[in-house]
Amino acid sequence: MKRNALVFLVGVVIALIAGWAVFPRVLYVSRQQPLDFFHKTHAEKSGLTTCDSCHVVGSDGQFTGIPRNEVCSTCHADKLGTSESEALLVDNYLKQSEQPPWLIYSQQPANVWFSHAIHTKRAGLNCTDCHGNYGETDQLKVYEQNRITGYSRDIWGHSMSRLRRAPGDGMKMTDCENCHRRHHVEVSCLGCHQ
Amino acid sequence: MKFSRRDLFIGGAGIAAGIVFTPVPWKLLGDTSIWTQNWPWIPQGAHGPVETKHSVCTLCAAGCGIRVRMAAGWPVGISGVATNPITKGALCPLGFAAQQLNWHPQRLREVRHGGRTASWAEAQAAFEKACGEGPVTIVDGRPGRAASSVLEAFAAKHAGDYRVLLDEETRALSPYAMWSGVSAAALGYDLENMQTIVSFGVPLLDGWGTPGRFTRLWSEKAAGAADPQLRLIQIEPGLSRTAARAWRWTAIHEGSGAALAAGLAQVLIQEHLVNGQGPAPPQMSLVDAAAQTGLSSDAIRELARTIVERRPVVAIAAGDEPAIAALNVVLGAVGTSGGIVLKSKPQGSQVQLEAGVGHRAMLLDSTVPWDFAPQTNAEVFRFAAWDGGNSKADWLLPSPGFAEELTDVPTASTSARETYAIAVNLVAQPGETKTAAQFLTNIDGTLPDVDKGIHARCEHLFESKAGTVHAEQATAVAKFESAAKMEEQLRQGAIWVGDPLKAGGLKCALKQWPAAANPAHAIDWTAAWQLPVFPPLAAKLYQESDLREAPGRRQA
Amino acid sequence: MSARYGMVIDLDRCTGCGACMVACAAENNVPPPHTRTTARTGITPMLVHKLSNGKEGADAREAFIPITCMQCGEETPCVSVCPQQAVQVDKETGIVMQMVQRCLGCRYCMTACPYHARYFNWWDPEWPAGMEKSLNPGVSVRMRGVVEKCNLCDARYHLALSKAAAAGKKEIDPADYVPACVEACPTGAIVFGNLTNANDPVAVAAHSPDSFRLLEQIGTEPKIHYKTKQNWIRAQADRNAVRSNSPEAQHV
Repeated sequence: MKRNALVFLVGVVIALIAGWAVFPRVLYVSRQQPLDFFHKTHAEKSGLTTCDSCHVVGSDGQFTGIPRNEVCSTCHADKLGTSESEALLVDNYLKQSEQPPWLIYSQQPANVWFSHAIHTKRAGLNCTDCHGNYGETDQLKVYEQNRITGYSRDIWGHSMSRLRRAPGDGMKMTDCENCHRRHHVEVSCLGCHQ
Repeated sequence: MKFSRRDLFIGGAGIAAGIVFTPVPWKLLGDTSIWTQNWPWIPQGAHGPVETKHSVCTLCAAGCGIRVRMAAGWPVGISGVATNPITKGALCPLGFAAQQLNWHPQRLREVRHGGRTASWAEAQAAFEKACGEGPVTIVDGRPGRAASSVLEAFAAKHAGDYRVLLDEETRALSPYAMWSGVSAAALGYDLENMQTIVSFGVPLLDGWGTPGRFTRLWSEKAAGAADPQLRLIQIEPGLSRTAARAWRWTAIHEGSGAALAAGLAQVLIQEHLVNGQGPAPPQMSLVDAAAQTGLSSDAIRELARTIVERRPVVAIAAGDEPAIAALNVVLGAVGTSGGIVLKSKPQGSQVQLEAGVGHRAMLLDSTVPWDFAPQTNAEVFRFAAWDGGNSKADWLLPSPGFAEELTDVPTASTSARETYAIAVNLVAQPGETKTAAQFLTNIDGTLPDVDKGIHARCEHLFESKAGTVHAEQATAVAKFESAAKMEEQLRQGAIWVGDPLKAGGLKCALKQWPAAANPAHAIDWTAAWQLPVFPPLAAKLYQESDLREAPGRRQA
Repeated sequence: MSARYGMVIDLDRCTGCGACMVACAAENNVPPPHTRTTARTGITPMLVHKLSNGKEGADAREAFIPITCMQCGEETPCVSVCPQQAVQVDKETGIVMQMVQRCLGCRYCMTACPYHARYFNWWDPEWPAGMEKSLNPGVSVRMRGVVEKCNLCDARYHLALSKAAAAGKKEIDPADYVPACVEACPTGAIVFGNLTNANDPVAVAAHSPDSFRLLEQIGTEPKIHYKTKQNWIRAQADRNAVRSNSPEAQHV
C-alpha cells in the first residue's frame, strides 16, 4: 500500500512539474521582433517623453497603435546614431518603404472592439494602467506566442496561475470585466465586440 | 520490487489527479476554444490606418461623387457624397460593392493574344506594325476626357480615324441634334424645372440618368402626394418600378409610343392647347393612334389635356424615336426652361463609329462597352480591365480597374449643366496595366500628357470665372484665390458645376411630322452598367432574393 | 439618456432598387453567394420584397418593402429562446445585438423570429483571391454554423463613439451614425434616428397617422416602422392596421 501511495505521489509530482514548469515552455514559442527599440533611451534622447508623442489618439477617434514609417521618418530619414537597431530600421524598412512587421503584444481577436479614445479620453485611464511601465524599459519584451491560439502570452499574462500580477499583465475578457465592475461601468456585448 | 504495469496505472492516476491542479487542462480547454474561433481560412479586415478619401466613380459616364473608406491602403467601403449637387449622396445599387471589382475572378491581368499570354512589348510591336501598314481607327467610349485628347491626337498624327461611341442616353437626344444643328452631347434635360414629365417607358426612378438626381427630386416633389408638384406620367405596357410609383401609369401596347405621340400631338394642335409654333400635325389620325396604342380616342384626348395642365411639360424617350421628340417640339419643350436645354456651347460634333470600317487595325479604349463587337477584319486591340468572355479581339490589353487611374470626368449625358470632376487613383495602378493613352504615348512620346491635360482644363475653368466648385462647401469659381487652389479641391473629389446657359440658344427647325423609327427596346436594370462583370455582391439582388431578374450574360 | 434607435421606411418612396441590400452586404462583410445558394439559404440582413395588390391590368399596384431585423423592443422573441445568450437588447441603444461568436447554430432564434429576419451561415465565407483586402475591418467575419442578422450597423456606432470620445464627449453626433442602408437609399425612403427624442425626424415620422409596424398585434414592439398612404399595403401588413375612414387612405 505504501508503495502504491508513493507511486501515486510521484505521478502527482510529475504532473505538477510538467504542468507548471514544462507546459508554459512548450505552449509558448518565442519570436523575434524585427528590431529592438529602447523606449527609455529614445525618450531621453528625443525629448518625446510621453506615450502619446508616438502612440496617438486622433481627432477622428482612431488609435495609431505602433507608429508607422511616416512618423519615424520625420527624424530617422537618415541614421542619427550608430546603433544596430536604427541601422536595421533605416536600411531595411524606412528606405524600402516597408513597415516593420511588429509583433503586437496586446493583439486581440478580430471580434473584439476596443476604443483607446474612450478609455483614455473619457475614462481618463493612463497608458500604464493597462500596459504597465513599458515606456520606462529599455528592451522590448520577448514576444511569446501561444502555439494553439496564435496570440501573445501577454493576453493571459505571464503568471500561469493569474495570481500576483503586475498592471498590464493580462488582457483577457475577465480582466476587462473586472475593471469595469470596479468602476461600475456597465457595457453591453456589442459595446466591446463587433 | 520490480516496476510493473500496476505502477504505471497508479502513476498515471497520480498524474491525472495532479494535472488538475496545474494550468494544463484549463488552459488547453480555453486555448482550444479560441483556436476553434480563428480558422485560418476565414479572412478578417486588414489592420491599418483608416482614411476617408473622396473621388469620382468612373464605372459609367454618370461620374457619381464617391466617399471611399480605405483601410491599410485598400478601399473597404463606398458611399455617396451628400454635398454633390447632382447625386445628393446617391449611387447606383452596384456602386456600393465596386471595391470588390478589382479582384473579380475575370479581372484581366495579362496581355492576351490568340488565346495565349503575350507581353506589352509584343502588343506594341504589333500595333506599330499595323500603323505602318494602313490606317488605324481609334474608338473612344467616353469622349471629352483628357485621355480622349491623347487618342484623338494620335489618330490625327498617324493618319488614322478617331471615332466616338455615344451612350444610349446621349443618342436619345439625337433628333433634337439633327433639327437644331447642335451636337447631342451639348443637350440635356432640365429636370429641376419640369412640372409634368411624360415618360415613354423610361426608368426614371430605376437607373436612368445620374443616380440620385431624379430620385431625390421626385422624392421631394412627388412621392406619396395625391397632388404632387412634379407630375410623373409613365407610359409603358407593363407595371415597371417607375410606373408603380408614378402619379399616373398609362398602359399602351408594346412599341406604340410613336403612335401615342402622334395622337397626343393631334389633340394638342386641334384643341389649340399649344402655341402652334411646331411642325404640321401628323398624318396619323386620332382613331389610328387609338387603335395602335390600345387606348380609346377619349383617353388620348383626356391625356393630352392633362399633360398641359401644369407646365413646363416634357416627354422623355428611352431611344431616339423622332415622333416623341416631335411631340416635345409641339409642346414647346425644346430650348426652354424645364425642357430639353443646351448645356454647353455648341461645338463640332464628333464622328460616330459606323459599322464595317475597312481599316488595318482598330484600337478600342477601355471605355468602349464590352458588348460592342466591331464587324471588321481589322486587327482589334481591345483595352479592358475585366474579361467578359467570348471576345473576338485579336489582342486583349489589361487596363486599370476601379480607382486605379487618374482621369477626368466630363459632363454626364442627361445633365442640364456642364460639370467637371477628377477621378483620382486611390490605389496605385498595378504594374501590369496600361491605359490606351499610356500605350499610345509609349509609341509616340510627343502626345499630350493626361495629367497635364487635366491641369490645363482646371486652369481654363478658373479663367472662365464661371460656375461653382462643390466640395464640403460650395465655392464660386470667381472666389478662388488661384487656379492651384481650385485644382486641389477638384483633385480631392470636388465637382465643378457650370452656370445654366441662358434659354433661347436652342432652336429646332421642324416643319413636318417625322416618320416613325424602330421602337426602343426595354431597358433592363443593368443597362446603364457598362462593365462586363458585376460585383459579386450584386447577386444579393437576384440569386439570394427575388428582387430582380438575373442580368443577361454580356457577350462580346 | 439611453437611446432607442429605430427607422421609419416610407413605402411610397421605396422604388425597390436594392441599393440598401448591396450597401448592407458590403458594410457587413457578407460573402458573395456560394453557387448553391438560393433565396432561401442566402444571407440578406436587408432584404427587399415585392408587394402586389393581386389585381391585373390597369388596377395592378406594386410596392416594395425592405425587411430587416425589426429590433423588437418588448418580449424580443429571439432573445427569449437563445440557449447561449448570444443575443441581447442593448440598454444604451435599444439595438438587438447578435453576438455571432457566442452562437452555436441551433437556429432556434430563426424559428422564433416572426419576421424571418435571421440568416444562417450554411457555408464558410469565401471570396476570390485578394478580395479579402476589401473587407470592412469594423465588422468581424462569421464562420459557417452561426446565425446572423442586422445589428443596425453597430460598427458605425462604434466609430461615432470613438470620435465623440476623442473630443471628450459622451454623446455621439447623430450625423456620425448613419447605417449603410439609410445612406444608400436614393430616394431617402429610410429615416433613421433616436425614437426617444421627440424632435428627431424618425420620432415625428413614427407618430404620423400613416405609419404602422408589421404584426403589431403580437406585441413585439418593433422599432422599425413603415409608412404609406396606400391602404392596400397596410391591409397586407396587418389587418388591424387598416384605417378605412381617412380620405388619404383611399389614395392608391
